[in-house]
Parts: sequence; C-alpha cells; structure tokens
Amino acid sequence: MNVDLALTRRQRIGAALLVAIALFCAAGPALVGDPRVLDLMNFLSAPGLEHWLGTDHLGRSMVARLAHAGQLSLGLAALSVLSAAIPGVLLGIVAAWRGGWLERACVVLADSVLALPGLLLVLLLATLAPGAFWPLYLGLALAFWVEYFRVVRASARSILASPAVEASRLLGFGSFYLVRSHVWPELRPVLLTLASFGMAAAVLAMAALGFVGVGIKPPRPELGVMMIELLPYYQEAPWLIAAPVLLLTLTLLGLVLIRPQEAVA
Amino acid sequence: MQDTRFNSRALLGIALRRGGQAGAVALLVGTLSFFMMRWLPGDFAYRIAAGRYGYDLVSAEAAEAVRRELGLDAPWYTALADWWLQLLRFDLGESLVTGHRIIDEVAHQLGHTLSLAFAAIALSVVIALPLGIAAGLRPRGWADRLGEGAAIALRAFPPFLLGLLLVIAAANLSDAIPAAGHGEAGNLLLPALTLALGLAAASSRVARESVARVVASDYYAFALTKGLSPRLALWRHGVRNAALPVIAYLGVQLAFVIEGVVILETLFAWPGIGHALVHAVFWRDVPMIQGTCLMLGLCFVLLNAAVDLACLLLDPRRRRGT
Amino acid sequence: MGRSLFMPGRRRWLAAGLASSGLAAWPRWLQAGPSVRALRVVGPWEITGLDPSRAGYLFSRHGVSETLLDIAEDGNPTPALATHWEVSADQRHWRFHLRPQARFHDGSPVTPQAVAAALQFARRKPGGMGLVPLEAIDAGTDVVDVRLAADFAALPAVLAHSSAQILAPASYSTGGSVRRVIGSGPYQLTGIEPPQRFSLARSPHWDGPRPAIAAVDYLAVGRGESRALLAESGQADIVYGLDPASWQRLKRHARLQVHSVPLPRTIYLKLNAGHRWLAELPLRQAISLAIDRAGIAHAILRDPQAAASQLLPPALAQWHDADLPAMGQDIAVARQLLAAAGWQPAADGIRVRQGAKGGERLALTLRTFPDRPELPIIAAAVQEQLRQVGIAVEVLLGNASDVPAAHRQGTLELALGARGYGIYADPMVTLLQDFGPEGGDWGAMNWGNQTVPAALAALQGPLRERDRHALRRTVTRTLHEELPVIPIAWNLLAAAVHPALRGFTLDPLERSYRLERLLWGEA
Repeated sequence: MNVDLALTRRQRIGAALLVAIALFCAAGPALVGDPRVLDLMNFLSAPGLEHWLGTDHLGRSMVARLAHAGQLSLGLAALSVLSAAIPGVLLGIVAAWRGGWLERACVVLADSVLALPGLLLVLLLATLAPGAFWPLYLGLALAFWVEYFRVVRASARSILASPAVEASRLLGFGSFYLVRSHVWPELRPVLLTLASFGMAAAVLAMAALGFVGVGIKPPRPELGVMMIELLPYYQEAPWLIAAPVLLLTLTLLGLVLIRPQEAVA
Repeated sequence: MQDTRFNSRALLGIALRRGGQAGAVALLVGTLSFFMMRWLPGDFAYRIAAGRYGYDLVSAEAAEAVRRELGLDAPWYTALADWWLQLLRFDLGESLVTGHRIIDEVAHQLGHTLSLAFAAIALSVVIALPLGIAAGLRPRGWADRLGEGAAIALRAFPPFLLGLLLVIAAANLSDAIPAAGHGEAGNLLLPALTLALGLAAASSRVARESVARVVASDYYAFALTKGLSPRLALWRHGVRNAALPVIAYLGVQLAFVIEGVVILETLFAWPGIGHALVHAVFWRDVPMIQGTCLMLGLCFVLLNAAVDLACLLLDPRRRRGT
Repeated sequence: MGRSLFMPGRRRWLAAGLASSGLAAWPRWLQAGPSVRALRVVGPWEITGLDPSRAGYLFSRHGVSETLLDIAEDGNPTPALATHWEVSADQRHWRFHLRPQARFHDGSPVTPQAVAAALQFARRKPGGMGLVPLEAIDAGTDVVDVRLAADFAALPAVLAHSSAQILAPASYSTGGSVRRVIGSGPYQLTGIEPPQRFSLARSPHWDGPRPAIAAVDYLAVGRGESRALLAESGQADIVYGLDPASWQRLKRHARLQVHSVPLPRTIYLKLNAGHRWLAELPLRQAISLAIDRAGIAHAILRDPQAAASQLLPPALAQWHDADLPAMGQDIAVARQLLAAAGWQPAADGIRVRQGAKGGERLALTLRTFPDRPELPIIAAAVQEQLRQVGIAVEVLLGNASDVPAAHRQGTLELALGARGYGIYADPMVTLLQDFGPEGGDWGAMNWGNQTVPAALAALQGPLRERDRHALRRTVTRTLHEELPVIPIAWNLLAAAVHPALRGFTLDPLERSYRLERLLWGEA
C-alpha cells in the first residue's frame, strides 16, 4: 500500500502557520515580559518599541499576554485532543478486532455520550469546579473520544476484513504487526483531520466558557477571555482585540488547511 | 406513484435509539446537577433559606431546617436515588433565584429557542444550497474557490465574535436592523443570521460535494444527451440525490446549533433556554441549570430523531426496507 | 411537471437584491414613529423579585410606586404621598397627612390603613424600616401617626426610600409577600416577565399632570457592550449603566445625548477585620497604601476626579471632611509596614511568616461581582497592585448575594463592592446599616470598634449643629484611620439618550428616572 506523504501546497501553508504559532507560544513566554505588570497611566497605547503590540486597558503588555494566552489555550487544546484521541483510537481498534459484546457495549456508551452536545457537558463540568483545568480536559475528552472511536472502528473493521490482512494473518504475523502496518497507515490522514477539528473545537469551547463566565480565572490570560475583555475598546484601540482574534483565526486556519483533501471531480 | 409503506423496522430502530439517548441525557444531566448541589462552594441550604426568608432574617437555624427538609444531610447514595425519582416524576423543582417552578419557566423559553433554531437552520439552507450548487456545477471554478475560502474563514471564527461583528456592522450601517432584545419584528434576523452563516459554511461544502458528484455521474450525462437543459437535468435527477447528504449533515450540525444557541442568546439578549442556562450558571442556580440543560439535551435528541425520520422519508431505498 | 426553480442568472440576482433590501427595510416600515410606540428603557438591573426590599427600586424609579416622602436634590424631604407633616417637640411623634386624591392602580384609594399596613410589612424585610426604633404606626381618618420609641433623626430619609414604598393591600398575600405590584404612581404595570422585562402604561387613576409618554418598556440587559450597542443602533431610547469605555465612545457619537452625573457612590474594599491577619491594622494600612487610586480612576473609570481621597465623596457635603489627609499610593511604606509585621518575601515574591501553626503565606480571597461592569476590572487591577507588595489575591467572581452570605457565614476575607451612601437622603442611614454595633453586610465585619456606633447613636438625638458636626467628624476620622473598609474610587452614572427625547435629567440620588417629565421633540 502506497502512502503518499507529499504535502500539497495548501497543506504546506497550513503546516508553516502552525509551526510559527507553536514557536510563538512555546518560546514566546520566556522572551517577552511579565503579562501581569500594570501601567495604568499608559493604558490602551498603540504598538511601539517598548510594547510591540501596545498595552491593554490596564496597561499590560499585549504581546506578553498574547504569548502566555496562546500557550495556555493551544496547550490545553492539544492536551484535550490527545486525551480524547488515545482512548478513542484504542477502543476503536479493540472493538473492531474483538467484536461481540465488547463492541456493542462501546457503541451504546458512545451513543449515550453523544446524546448531550459537547459544550453543554463541558459547561456542566466547568460549573462544578469553576476556573479549574480538569473539567476542560475531562469534558472535551468525553465529548470527542466518540468521534475517534466511530471513525477508527469503521475503518479498522473494513481494513481487518480485507484480503491483504487475511493474507498477512495466514502468514503468521501477530496482531500488533497487523495493526501497525495495515491499519495505522490508513488511519493516519483521518486522524489528522479529526485532530484538527478537535483542536479547533477545544479552543472555541474555552473561549465560549470564558464568555459565559466559568472560564479560566484572572489574571491568567486566555484567548477567549481576552477577546471578551477587549471588546469594549474596539473603536479606541482595534489592534488590541485584533490580536487574539488573529491568533485564533490563524491557528484554526492552519488546522483547516492541513487536512488531507479528497477531490471529487 | 410513490411507495408509502414504511419500513417499521427502521422506525422502531430510530425510536429505540433516540429514546435510549433521551434517557441517557436525563441520567447524565441529573447526576451532574446532583453533585453540583453537593460540591459547589457555598452553602446551598443557606442560599435556599436566604431566598425564602430574605437575607436579613435568615439564620443558621433556618439553614439547618432547610437542610433537614431537603435531605441535604443524607448520605449521597440515598439522596441521589431521591433525586432520580424526582426527575422521573418530572418534578424539576423551583429556581433558587426567582422561586418559580422550573417547568413553567423552561416551557416558556422553549418557544423562543426553537424559533431561533428553526430560523437559523432555514436561513442556512437558503444560503448554503444556492452557493453549494453554484460551486458544484463548476468544480474548481471561481464560485467554488470563493465558496471554499469563505467557508474556511467563517468556520475559523468563534460564533460570539461573528455575532458581535454583525451587530457592529448592523449598528453602523443601518438604523433598521435591531441589535438585540426581543419583541420587535426584526430582532430575529441577526442572531439567526450569525448561526446560519456558521452552519452554511459547512453545509454549502456538503452541497457542493454532492452536486459535483451528481454532475460527474452517468445518469446526469445521459439526461443531457436526452436533450434536457443542464438545469432541468439537475432538478429532475440531481436535487434529491444532492439534498439527502445535506439533510443528513444537518443532523451532525445540530450540536453546533444547540451550542451556538447558548452563546448567541446571551449575546443578543434573546430570552430563550440558552440565555437562561448561562444566567443560571452565573447565579449557581442548580435546579435551573438542570432544567435548562435537560431541555436542551432533549431538544437535541428530538431534533436528531426528526432528521432521522426525514432521511427515512427522502431515501426511497431505506423506506422500502432494502 | 413543475416549473423550474432556477431562473436565469441575471433575473435571479435582481430578485435576490430586491428581496434583501426589502428585508432590511421591513422593520422600519413596521416600526411606528416614536410618539406612538412605547419608550424603551434598558438597564443592567434585573427583576429579582416583586418585593420592595428586593427590586422595589426599579418600580419606584419608573414611577410605578410612591413613597410617603420624596427627597429634593439638596437633601431635604419634599411631599409625595404625604402632602404635609407635623413633628412633635420631642421628635418622636410624626403625623403625615395623605394626598386626598391619591389612588392605587386598582382604583382603591390610598388610605391611612393601607399606608400603615405597607410600612408594617416593610419593617419585617431588609431595609431602612428595620432600623427605625418604632413604637407604633397608627392610622387615623386622613393621617398616619408614627411614634418612635427612641430618637431617630433620619426617619424622613427612611420613609423616602424605595424599600418603604406604599403598595395597595391587594398586592400583599397574607404572609406579607408581594404577589402583584399595585402602586399609586403615574405609570402602572401592564406586563412583567421576571427577571428581564416589564411594561408600563399611563395610569388612569393618577391625580397629577398627565405624562406625555404613554407607554414604557424596560429591558434588563446584562452585558455592558450590548447595552451600548442598543443605544447606538437606536433600539433603546434610554440606556442606563454605561461602562466607562462605552461612555467614552458614545460621548463622541454624532446624535446621541450622553448624560453623566457624579454619584454619592463609593467603590471600596470590604475587609474582615476579625480575620487572623487582617485584624492587625498595619496590614490593612499596607493594603490601602498599595492601591493606585489615581491610576484606577484614570484608566478604568476614565475620570481623574473619581479617585477617592476618603470614604464619602464631596457631593455629601456635610460628611466630606476636606481636612483629612487624602488616601494615596505609597508602595515603599506599604512594604515597610509588612516587613515590620514579620512578613518577608519568599522566592515567588509573596510574603510569608512564621505563625503559631507553622509557615503562613499571605494569600487572601477577593470576592466581587459583575453587576457593575467596572468592578471585575478594578478587581484585576487591585489583585496585581497587591501582588507588587507581596500579597497574593485570588479573585472570586460571583454574584452580589455572595458577599452578604459570606459575611454572615464568616468566610469573607476581602470583597470589592460599590455602596451608595446617597440612596437614603441622609448618609447616616447607610452608615448605621454598615457601621452599627454588629457591623453590616456591606460594612464593617468583626470590627469591634465602639467609637463609631456610639457617635452614630448620639447623632440621633436633638443636638446643636456644632455638636453634630463634631460627631460626624469623629465618625469619618475613625473610619479613615481604622480602615474597616478601604475606599478606592467614587462613581458616576452615565446614560445615553435618544436625540429626540426632551426633558431628560439624571437624578444623582438615583431615586427616579422622571419618566413623567419626558416628551418627544424633533431629532
């Protein structure tokens, strides 16, 4: 089976975007100043030499807040995607492999979790422990693992029934080898797509939680909360709200671009 | 002539599946709300007593009385069982803030939420179908590329931000479009449009895919050789084939609708269930949180069932049981 | 065979264009002109209940209910439901003569029995009436007699407050809770949907001059930006509660009228003076010295005049003491005070010391609420400013009822709130509520000071003005030095008004929106 690893041009653009943003979020907080320090007399200042993106309504450096917020939001999103993907993929493969009552039980479980829209589940959990991180992980993981489970189970089932796998099995190869060399390469592009969906949804969910008021507590900067805080100043200092919006949009854009495309015509 | 014999097995399957989901929603929401009552910081017995007698008159004894009355002291497994029994009886309790029965309030707000959801879905189909068809008729044409770019841009925007942008644009461009609130004729436009744009971003792509598939198919080419104009051929042979994936995709998008409703109702001060939920979360009004979440979850399951039925109706293969 | 849905391209675009322009213009056609439709008022306050002690201020401000007395802007009582009154020589017997033509909205006359009943109900609820040392309220033929058991100079202020509003007997259920709001003012309730909205219409039973505005709709909108957008888009005719940023933005708007008035309302930090650390005065002083009031006034409230130099603002002339040294920021002295008390900075900058049970980290919780949009922002600023001197503060954003609840349960450490010292015409009533012997929900907590309650009690009796002045000075000076609460800034009220609305004024005492004086003119 030939797996095409060459990235199309749009995938390259997407990857470049994501790498740049990841660098900014990973290395940025160490390089820029303290996001907490106030300079009240110098509030809402325009981008300049001292503060590259200006200062917010409390005189805090925007670039520092953006870097820390990016690290927090995107880091949390990546973590919750992993927390959803790992159990989902494992359960999907096991269910497709074993079948029987285990598979049926997993399907019923998945269906019942799907019954409640993900944001509501995260909202309920976040209300239980406002401002904490674990409701976000748990809620997002619970809401998203189902996607991985269903997709992986469907793909794995069809792959495991294919003649190539049948042949390998007859030749005596163990289950681990079968999964690694037959199932995994087929799954990769789909998983990448799902991961990008999941990251986008996770970041948006955190922003929504901040909007509703059960998000991360101040003074930790978080993208969604920043957007809401800076909204009233959209006329006086539009560059301020543009910053987190742009970071979020570019991240999501990168995630969308990086998905493998299936052309029809 | 259409075959109207319904496949009773398929119907039973839908009923079982969605019924089971409804039960799962109730269980999940109820249990989480119960633990919210117990774990949230702040003394709930005290708050309820203060709500009844007023802050000035409430005392530790009054809080104790409330605690005994509501059984908040009981071990959690018996209290949880009681809680579930209450839910089964459809007794959702009273709001900690206003003291009114939750059922009454939620029933009142349901109409507003449903009108917003339906308007948004209808608007999204109106926006997505023409755009998707135009894009699918000429894949890789300018309409297709433009549509794809717009879809990506729209999907990358948080719904509340999109809503705010529309509000700002509307406020600055036209005096006639209302920014928020309820009760005037045009109030529905902006919230529905915000939600519809997000929905249409994805469903226009789905429409495009299915139209492109139809255009590339054999029966379409055959229709053209028969002498039908492209539009007539599409209408007669393609629309139903193209519409089915869009409607099925609506089912997938329902989660987006429900989540969007929660945020946008708050933003636009639309007095629906989403607004009430956000409100209740802010006030830590646990019975109200339970009631609104339950209602939203049940709506979600119901709408999903409706989509299942619609797919069943539209797809003659499934209808006849093949 | 059905007609094809797809018209040729150009015609389709034309039709779509016409349809969308029609859609955009449709609301304008349906909208009646301003003189015909209801006046739309928007504010942040929700209708949390019908009882006068809960959201009664909403109904009295909109002219639905009345109180016995009104207060003029100079602070003196003026007639409302009572046309005139007499006071006995010992100041303990007050006789109020009621307005003969006054009627409730259900048509029943405003009788002395109704007034007495309403006041008795108000006594049992939170509010100023509970403070009054009442002996009896008697209803005569056209008079209401109020007899006091002890001296209480602020009785007119309490009777003028919205918690003592007079509702018809039919409003109350047997237990004293309010089922319907039936007042006696120029507007009556035609519909109410708590907590968000209610609608009013002119009352046919009103005996005063007929208001020009026939109907009013009130809508509670929680978010400050949404309220400002409603004003800009012309969807609301009056918008109250503009946050400072929107206020700045709307001031430059071409057509909106923007009014503002300084309020006798103080934004302050409430402290638990019985807390194991906060009981020490140097720590409270250090907290006060760490706060940059000028910066907060400049950046957050957008009004340099708002920086509080003491608790009571200059608008309350009798109580504001120009001789008191202004509170300001001095980080160096704050650090010295903390170091002298044994608090040394650890590696993360937060101070620690060795206490009775081992090492203690100077970390406190600060409760606040977003009902006033500037409070969470000020909380964030205060949190950072205290961190600069080594105090770790965790901000707990809840709702306003959390503060009294935490006060009563003893779990409060710090709280940021706003207190209107002018809601009763005489600040003494609010000071009595806050700094009485037991402290108050929004005032002192576990303070234990004797001077202030004694001075406030002494102020009730008959005194010469010179002695009153001295007692007031004692109160303000003690509060200023002992810091059971720490003032931060004074507030102002800003409102945006439709350009065609005439006669709009803002009441600095926030008693009334004066809707009955408004009329529509030319834009």
